[in-house]
Amino acid sequence: MTITLKYFGLLADITQLKEEQFTFDEETVLVSALKSKIESSYPKMQNTAYNIAVNQVIVDLQTKIKDQDLIAFLPPFAGG
Amino acid sequence: MRYSRQIILQEIGEIGQQKLQDARVLVIGAGGLGCPVLQNLAAAGVGTIGIVDGDVVEETNLHRQLLYTLKDCGKRKAEIAKKAILELNPEISVTAFSEFFTVQNATQIVGEYQIIVDCTDAIAVRYLINDVSVTKRIPMVYASIHKFEGQVSVFNYKNGPSYRCLFPEQEGLNAVPNCVESGVLGVLPNTIGTLQATEVLKIILEIGEVLSGKLLIYDALHFQTQIIDFAKNPKAIEKGFINGSLLLNRKKSVEDLTPKAFLEKCNQLGIVVIDVRELDETPEFKGENVIRIPLSELEEYSKKLDKNQEIVLFCQTGQRSLAAMNYLQKSGFVGVFHLGRGIESLKNQI
Repeated sequence: MTITLKYFGLLADITQLKEEQFTFDEETVLVSALKSKIESSYPKMQNTAYNIAVNQVIVDLQTKIKDQDLIAFLPPFAGG
Repeated sequence: MRYSRQIILQEIGEIGQQKLQDARVLVIGAGGLGCPVLQNLAAAGVGTIGIVDGDVVEETNLHRQLLYTLKDCGKRKAEIAKKAILELNPEISVTAFSEFFTVQNATQIVGEYQIIVDCTDAIAVRYLINDVSVTKRIPMVYASIHKFEGQVSVFNYKNGPSYRCLFPEQEGLNAVPNCVESGVLGVLPNTIGTLQATEVLKIILEIGEVLSGKLLIYDALHFQTQIIDFAKNPKAIEKGFINGSLLLNRKKSVEDLTPKAFLEKCNQLGIVVIDVRELDETPEFKGENVIRIPLSELEEYSKKLDKNQEIVLFCQTGQRSLAAMNYLQKSGFVGVFHLGRGIESLKNQI
């Protein structure tokens, strides 16, 4: 399956990307598995607080991700 | 006459204008977000506005904080903002609080305000605002910015989700950069602050659909907006409620040291005085028991300290030392103080 990942705020600074495509051999994965995979690609994300949204809804780590899903990584912002 | 163009809107009318006139809104932070929020609320005729900000105007603010001019540099933001919006609309009543919003003054400042607008630039203060807002059952209109992106949401609206439901508090001191550290496109807070003001007006007027349980994300560089849904987390709301209740019941505290009390403590034996600023920040404050531990390293350093050790913290303006104090208190330290308004308040003392 192929999914689209979008990074916001500080996370876009860490990954140096706004968006990327990710392909898994599996047909579905848990958010927790995606999180570990991404954090091993971008180790600095391990020390950053963020939420994960799947198709515009904030989800927990047990949520299943399927082909064509849009995943957003959302950290809190501080600036005002 | 002044309001005729909005009174003719069917959704507003004379009744709506009266609602605006009767509304009491507290704006915390009179910076990039606070300026457009204040301008728009004042112009719309929101009858009572409170402004909280302990900062002074600096030249680096002027590219985005449009209530201020070059001649205001060095003057207190809350006072200048008050003057500016009263010139725009003398029919409203405005109170300036020239202090930072802290656990010490939160209850007293929030008083009878019915809506809090969060225009601050520090995560710790956002949790504090959320907790007061949950406990007092008044909505918190949130916005925040990072470089070219902004977030907007309304928390604690009619028992809706809170800030803690969206962003649970993380243990430790993982600092999230503010505009000073990461930079910001000047126009961005004006866009985002205007959206924030829009939510405030909708809440007061009871029209449209309020951004509760939804996070709006705006990306100025790519002109993309997204609305992300999030759910209520009863445990997170409870945590805010407990914190807020403790705050509303607490007695006036002496944790915020005056410059005089701070200098006295610095001369006492057995006290550790920690400068939590970055190592290159000036003016340097020297003393036998003064050590420099930047905020980001305090967590590690504090593991070496006895929880009963009396600690005095300071930084430039009192905001980071407040965050550090809150962190140490949460970690179980019992004798923590901080210099309320930072090293800048010592200028006349040394």
